[in-house]
Formats: sequence, C-alpha cells, structure tokens
Amino acid sequence: MTTTDLAQRARRAHRRLREHAGLRERVRVLEAEVQENRQLNRRIAELTDVVAELLIPLEARDQDRVDEVLASFRTGL
Amino acid sequence: MSVAVSVAVSDDGLLVPPGDAPLVVEIDGHYAWSLTPARDGRPVAGGVLVPWPGVLRPHLRGRGRVRVTDAAGVAVLYDDEVGLGSGEGTLAVVDAAGHRLSVDKVGHLARSFAATDEGVRDEILAGTGRAIDDLREHAGVAAYLNYGALLGAVREGRMLAHDSDTDLCYLSEHTSPADIVLESYRITRAMRARGWRVLRMSGGDVKLLLPLSDGRACHIDVFSAFHVDGTFYQLGNRSGRLPREAIVPFSTITLHGHEFPAPRDPEAMLAFLYGPHWRTPDPSFRYADPPAGVRRLDGWLRGFRTEMGRWTELHDGPRRAAVPRGPSSFAQWVEPQLGSLPVVDIGTGTGRDAIWFASSGRPVTALDYSRGALGVARRRVRRHGVAVEVDQLILGELRSTLAHGTRLARAPHHLYARHLVGCLDPAALDQLWLLARMALRPGGGRLFLELAVGLPGPGDGLVRRTPVEVVRRGIEASGGVVERLTTGPGEDMFDLPDPAVCRIRAAWPAAAPHPKETS
Repeated sequence: MTTTDLAQRARRAHRRLREHAGLRERVRVLEAEVQENRQLNRRIAELTDVVAELLIPLEARDQDRVDEVLASFRTGL
Repeated sequence: MSVAVSVAVSDDGLLVPPGDAPLVVEIDGHYAWSLTPARDGRPVAGGVLVPWPGVLRPHLRGRGRVRVTDAAGVAVLYDDEVGLGSGEGTLAVVDAAGHRLSVDKVGHLARSFAATDEGVRDEILAGTGRAIDDLREHAGVAAYLNYGALLGAVREGRMLAHDSDTDLCYLSEHTSPADIVLESYRITRAMRARGWRVLRMSGGDVKLLLPLSDGRACHIDVFSAFHVDGTFYQLGNRSGRLPREAIVPFSTITLHGHEFPAPRDPEAMLAFLYGPHWRTPDPSFRYADPPAGVRRLDGWLRGFRTEMGRWTELHDGPRRAAVPRGPSSFAQWVEPQLGSLPVVDIGTGTGRDAIWFASSGRPVTALDYSRGALGVARRRVRRHGVAVEVDQLILGELRSTLAHGTRLARAPHHLYARHLVGCLDPAALDQLWLLARMALRPGGGRLFLELAVGLPGPGDGLVRRTPVEVVRRGIEASGGVVERLTTGPGEDMFDLPDPAVCRIRAAWPAAAPHPKETS
C-alpha cells in the first residue's frame, strides 16, 4: 500500500467519524425536542383546568362567586 | 488458593464477600438496611466494600452491635460490637423521638412496619381503606392496593417487615397524558374537600398524609396507572406489558383483618413489578425501569418540583443556620424605593427580608414553593408578631402562577425576589415574567431582582448563575422595562461574598398592552 493510499484511507475514516459525531449530535437535539413536546401535556392540562374551573363564574359576572371560586381554586391546587 | 472473605465493619462501610445475594444489616438489634454486594459495592482487597448510604451516616456514631445476615436471617456473617465515628454513646438508628428508622427501598430513612406497633399498623390500614372509599365515592376513581402491601398480603399474609407506607393505584380510562394529569388535579381537589392533606408529587401521583396517634404522618401514595399505545405505565416509574384484564375487575385481598380491592390477577401484577422471582424475599430489591418509559413519564408528568427535596433538606437541616436572620443588603437597598405600597417577596426562603419589610407595618406577602421554607417562614413570622401572609407559589406550575397573578392584579404592590432567578429553570423563569406582567398591571409597583450573574457552571449549588442578558430579554419580551441595572460585588444567599451580583428594578407600564414578539 502506497503512502497516497494510506492518506486516502485516513481521510475517509476521518470523514466517517465526523459524520457519526454529527449524527450523534442530531439525535441528542431530537431527543431534547421530543421531551420538550411531551412537556406540553402538563401545560395543556393546567390550562384546561384553569378554564374549566374559573371561566364559568367569570362569564356570569358574579363577583362574589368569582372571589369564592378563586379562593377555592387556590386551596385546591 | 482461595482466600476466605470475612465481613468487616468500619466508618467507610461494610467489607463483604462478593456476590449478588442480598444481605441484611441490623444495628442495635433492629433492621437498618439491606444491600447487594455486586450492585452496591466496589471490589477492594479482601472482598467488596459497600459504603454506608448517605442517609444512615449521620446516625453512625457510638458503640453498638452490628449484625449482617443473609436475606432470610439464617446465615450470620457478622455479629459483633463496633465503635463508629467518635465511638461515644449508643449506636442506634432512631429519630428525635427514639423511633427506630431504616433505609427503605427508594433510599429514604423511614420507620418500617417492623418498628410500628400493632395499634398504629391498624390505623394505617384503616386509613388506607378510608382513602380507597373517598377516592371511589368522591373522586370517581377505583383504587387498588399495590406494591409492598400487595406483595406482603399475597406472599406472606401480612405487611412486609421493611415497608414503611401503603401504595394505591387507579387504572385510568384515559390514554392521553394531558387527560391523566387533569384527572389527577380533580382527585386532589376532591380529596382536599374531604379533609385530606395532599402533596402533589407529579402530574400523575399525589401523597395523602394520614396523621397517626404516635405523632407521625403515614404517606399513602395514590398513583395513576394507564395504557398509552399498548404500553402500560404505572407511577412511580414502571412501564411495560400488562393488559387491563390483569387489573379489572378487581379481586379482594385481606391484610391483618382488613379487606382491600386488589388487581384481578395479583400474581401478574407482582411479576410486572418485581420480576419473575417475586416469591423470593429480597429486602434490597430495586426497580429496573425501562429508560424509555422513565423518559416518557418525566416528560409528560414531571418537571415542576425537581429540586423541592433539596430545598426541604436545606430548610429542615443544619445548613439553614448559615442563612443570616437580619435583612439582606439588597432589602436595605430596595426599602427606600418602596413608598407605602405592599411587598410580595417571591422565593422568601426563611422569610428574613419579608419579616424585616413587615416590621415597619408594611403589608407583606411571602411566597415560596418549598414546604420546608414555608414552615420556617410561618414559625418566624409568628415569633416576630408581624403581619406577613405566607403562601405557596410554584412557578413551575402554570395554575399556581395564574392563580397568584389574578389575585395580585387587583391592587398595586411591589414584587421582590432575591436570588430567585438562579433557582428557576427556563420554563419557571418565563412564568416569573408572566406573574410580573399580571401582578404589576395595576401600576405603581416595581419588580426588584437580585441575582448572581454569569454562565451557569458545575460549581453552582441550588442557586445557579444566570446571564444578565437572559433576564433583560425575558423582562422586555413580556412587556417590561428595565429601569435600573447595576452589577458588581455582592452577597449570595448566605451573605457570603460573590464577585458578580446584579440588581435590577423593572416596571410593566400600563401603556404597553401587548408583549413584544420574540423572533
């Protein structure tokens, strides 16, 4: 094997290594993004809970009822 | 040539023979801990050194008897009197009231049923039954006995000697994690209305605190169980294959004279939980949860109380004494800027600054997410006789943030937060800006922040460094205006010198109706 062959093989190996490192980084980023999306579940649940518990008395514009519902919402968290 | 390995006990831990059979450690004649050499130790000359668990170490001072046996207690590997630590006093693992403690299966120090008298055990089982009734009749979920209590009932006809609580699960009809969280919120509300003290551990599990006649509170875990895309999930962290038909309709199981609903096929559940060898006692058992399942449960249900335990440790432990009691220099810098408006201290900790602000008659609210901190702050507020309202705010929870923001939006006041920013993850920090935008809407009030600035690093403790630009961008993106910003030498939460501390005063002008769009 000539020096040129060896140099070519070394270059190819180096490129493959770089590609693998790139793939590993992409997988890391993808995993982080998937986890970020999973976290939306709790956020949706929290928003739904707030809307379901508080919106009806607000719509009725009954301030006493609103105060009561807000107080009981806070103690029930 | 084979070398006989004997057991040796020292301050470093136990030197034991290699192997994967569990060993049981008794201290002063009482069960304290169990271990598996191959899993818990490292090879050293003469055998395997298994270090003492960190939770036991504070108790390992004095002279007393240490006994090491196999799991069945038949083969005795070691039984002798030893002196540990200073070697003075009696070596025993007990709480302040003298109750025996042991390391439970998740590594916490707890009282086990072996150390609980029959009357108290009966209270725990009756209370567990009451919890099941309330969950069914008032929260609308059918709970079954599970984990250690189920294992004890099926395998031994009694509570396991080394267990310390009871666990309930309910099989949710829902298959979307958001619906499962919502269901858990409804359960909390219903159980609180029934008079239970409830602690939320994640979006899918809560603890009911059952007060006992010996002064303790027993924790009854209420875990959700559900199927998503054919995989069965059961909190704590279990995931795998178990069909609905293995759980419902329930069977009935009797434990010390109390009847409980149990999974339809208890043996299938126990094999799912503890593996195929669940019939063989292994007090040092630890779960081998599939990492993919843990990742999913973490993403769906967790994230708002990651460091709560560490804060409780700080506030309930000796390090709290290192937090000075008088006002911080930041509080003294802020005070002349307050006028007569009330102050809301967010992340109050021991309440040192809140109490000082209130000492001149100013109305003050002290908020924190740590129950340990709230307990300390409440006690000190009472002792000082000042009018400070102490309440829980969890910035990692949108509901908690919105509920406080709505209430605070009614009247003008200032927000004050010393070394809070460095305790928040990006999601909680965003919700601090949301809270400020809501709470300062009435006008006149300001947000006062002190934080350690710079890039977060591995040397940071519970309070991390934060780049000042992250804070400025957060304030501005939510419609706020930074009025003052100074950076220089200052102090950390213990008032120890810190070379780079930033003080910020920000306002949310009423004239800015819409937050800036971020690109």
